[in-house]
Amino acid sequence: MTATGGEDRAIRRAVRRRSRLPTILGVAGLVIVGALVVTAVFAPWLAPYDPTERIARPFLFPSAEHPLGTNDVGHDLLSEIIFGSRVSLMVGLVAATVALLIGTTVGVIAGYYPKRLGSTLMRGVDVILILPFLPLLIVLAAYLGRSLLNTILVIGFLIWAEPARIIRSQVLSLRSREYVLAARSMGAPDRWTIIRHIVPRTALLATGSFVRAVSGAILLEAALSFLGLGDPIQKSWGSTLYWAQTRGAFLTPAWKWWVLPPGILIMLASLGFALIAFSLEERINPRL
Amino acid sequence: MTRVKRFKWAVLLVALALVVVGCGDDEAEEEPVATTAAPATTAAPEPADEPDEPAPAPADDEDEPEPETTTTTAAPPPPPEPVTVRAAITGDEGTLNPYTYISGFPGWNILMLQYDSLMQLDAAGVPQPWLASSVSVSDDLTEWSVTLVEGVTFHDGEPLTSDDVAFSVEFYTTNPEASRFARDFRGVADVVVHDDYSVTFVLESANPGFDVVALADAPIIPRHIWESVDIPSEHDFGGTNIGSGPYILTEIAPDQSYRFAANPNYFRGAPAVDELVLIIFADDAGAQAAIRTGEVDVIFERIPPEQIDLLDAQDPLDVILGPEFATQMINYDASLRPFDDVAVRQAINMAMDRQDIVDTVYLGAATVGSPGWIHPGHSVYNPGIEVDVYDPAAANALLDGAGYADSDGDGVREFDGQPMSFEIITNASDSLRLRIAELTVEMLAAIGIKTEVLPVDTAVWENAVWPGFDVNNGRNYQIAMWGWSPPVQADPLRLPWLVHSSLDRGFLNLTGYGNAEMDELSEALAVEPDPAERKAILGRMQEIIAEDLPFVLLLYPDGAYVYDSSVYADWEFIAGQGIVSKLSLLPPSARP
Repeated sequence: MTATGGEDRAIRRAVRRRSRLPTILGVAGLVIVGALVVTAVFAPWLAPYDPTERIARPFLFPSAEHPLGTNDVGHDLLSEIIFGSRVSLMVGLVAATVALLIGTTVGVIAGYYPKRLGSTLMRGVDVILILPFLPLLIVLAAYLGRSLLNTILVIGFLIWAEPARIIRSQVLSLRSREYVLAARSMGAPDRWTIIRHIVPRTALLATGSFVRAVSGAILLEAALSFLGLGDPIQKSWGSTLYWAQTRGAFLTPAWKWWVLPPGILIMLASLGFALIAFSLEERINPRL
Repeated sequence: MTRVKRFKWAVLLVALALVVVGCGDDEAEEEPVATTAAPATTAAPEPADEPDEPAPAPADDEDEPEPETTTTTAAPPPPPEPVTVRAAITGDEGTLNPYTYISGFPGWNILMLQYDSLMQLDAAGVPQPWLASSVSVSDDLTEWSVTLVEGVTFHDGEPLTSDDVAFSVEFYTTNPEASRFARDFRGVADVVVHDDYSVTFVLESANPGFDVVALADAPIIPRHIWESVDIPSEHDFGGTNIGSGPYILTEIAPDQSYRFAANPNYFRGAPAVDELVLIIFADDAGAQAAIRTGEVDVIFERIPPEQIDLLDAQDPLDVILGPEFATQMINYDASLRPFDDVAVRQAINMAMDRQDIVDTVYLGAATVGSPGWIHPGHSVYNPGIEVDVYDPAAANALLDGAGYADSDGDGVREFDGQPMSFEIITNASDSLRLRIAELTVEMLAAIGIKTEVLPVDTAVWENAVWPGFDVNNGRNYQIAMWGWSPPVQADPLRLPWLVHSSLDRGFLNLTGYGNAEMDELSEALAVEPDPAERKAILGRMQEIIAEDLPFVLLLYPDGAYVYDSSVYADWEFIAGQGIVSKLSLLPPSARP
């Protein structure tokens, strides 16, 4: 008797611990993302200098005036990185929005009309998922040319397939629920059913996908800019790394203040969003 | 499962991105500009450091039974304390004969270690007799007579005679594929052999620059080897590339290394370096890391400006700097409003703080551009050209006076009712040029001209500035950052190509510029036999350019090379060519 009670308690505690972990991680993610968003929004006040103004000699080592030194034309690196958070976060958010819009639309349609239309659409999704991802991204980016808009579109158009799959499976299950069947049997038009009953029920799931997509998009933007396929004039963490690489900072002591900080920020931003997504999914993913 | 996958994916991406760093294109110093420059029919600027001859060399190595066994083994025991220099290069150069070497730089320079040309550039970049003991030219500049040094032998002991000279010209011109040397001798009507040691080149038309473009460029090849060769670009010499030069190629490891032994019987005296090993690296970063750790003794590629001080500070490394004739410049469409107005062009010229660009972007490792185009270190430079023209106040006054007022007070002047707001197109692959473009935007803003940098792919940029590499196709840009490879300027007789208003003579005139006096001078230059007189004509042309500004010349990047001074320190910098030449490896007494 006592033994069973102890076991019960132990199990309960274990369950509680397990369910608490996602919350803790989620809060950690929120803190990271919150800090970065604040940095981005208040960049003009936080940054000590205008990042596009040549305020000192190029290639300066860190000093009290320039905590991270200067880049290859004498822009203050700290200011550059603070302003860079704007582009990086913005690309992440907008590209994920693009991806989500496409993904949700395709997912809902494919789930609601699973027969011919749905399977056709899903084969399209399969194609997108099968394509070698990074090479395709690079080719597209190189082909479309360098601008912020192109970067956003390229990333958005390449990461919508996964949300589409997730949302479709949810819709597949929703469309056979009693209330949906009831609505349809009473003659509700498809459009009304989708908008009234289906889309709202996928919103939570979509939020999870969105946050995860942001995390991926930030990494992709950094990768593209770093490879010189973004707009190198636009200050983002990736382009800071691009200039660090083309001007040899990887080979000199400068990597400590020129390569490491943007690298860590990219990692943090991606991690922050990934943690939030993880925590959200624990709560909202439908389980068997 | 999905979580794990997601994290893996994220980590993978980061890793991938980092790996790709290594392969990042660091082609800052390339001049794609002049690359395909050669409208195939005209003698053209050759690319400085791009593959200019698509030589299908490496393919050969696979097909045939391998060279190494036959060639490498018989090396004689090394003399006491031989000097061995290990040099880094960053690309395979095929089998390194005149038809299979790959890059214009340093491929051609390495090729010429095994061969000799009739003339050789000295440290100032002026051709001096080399295989020739004397060179003379007729008054009408159509007959170039050469007397050869007697007693020169090829590596296999056969003598080098005027017969080989005539054969070389004939071979190059009859096998023009994949050969820059066919281009050298285009326009040679006849080669007259008088006796074993004297020969005359008869040209179809006057060519005052024949010594630079042909005599100092083309290697003389032995008839007894090459007369049995049918398809030169597919021919493999089994590792022995027989020439008359100071070095003999003894070993090739494709994509890894080349090994050269000194030719003890070289006609100017045995080389100072007994053995030269070229080690192929994947990129500049690899080569720089190698010289830091002492794995190589010199890098046969220019090093970027930001590495100069860092490498020089390390013992026993030293950096040698010298003039190169590559250019960074601003082009505008001078046939279009408002750039057809010379006042606008002059204002742009005065707005550019060239010293600031040199100091900021090149960290001082460049020469401030002369508005007259010719490098101040060049033998035909006109010292009367004022170089220090930076004066934004005067530029503003000039624009005010010419009627380009800022009537709506937005800080941007207007012309013909439109704001003076333009795009500066540039190639994103050249990061230094991109930075110059950014600085240009700043400097033009100070005189009320608003610009925005448009970084694009090299092909897009070339197509905007020089569509189809043919000026007859016009131009699709307003302002562009541009640069020519060194040969365009090294040979000053090519200047008319840039400024002649008739497009078949001015086939590099990318800005749509025209000036009657300039055209007259260009024509006079082509037929002027007296070098002093030619220099005077070129001097006047520089004055017109500095006044008329068909383009705005910003700077000439300096060549910088790093070497280990404890191994070998006698490197000779040839103006406009750098240190990769036989002069560097011969004892100083043997240099011209």
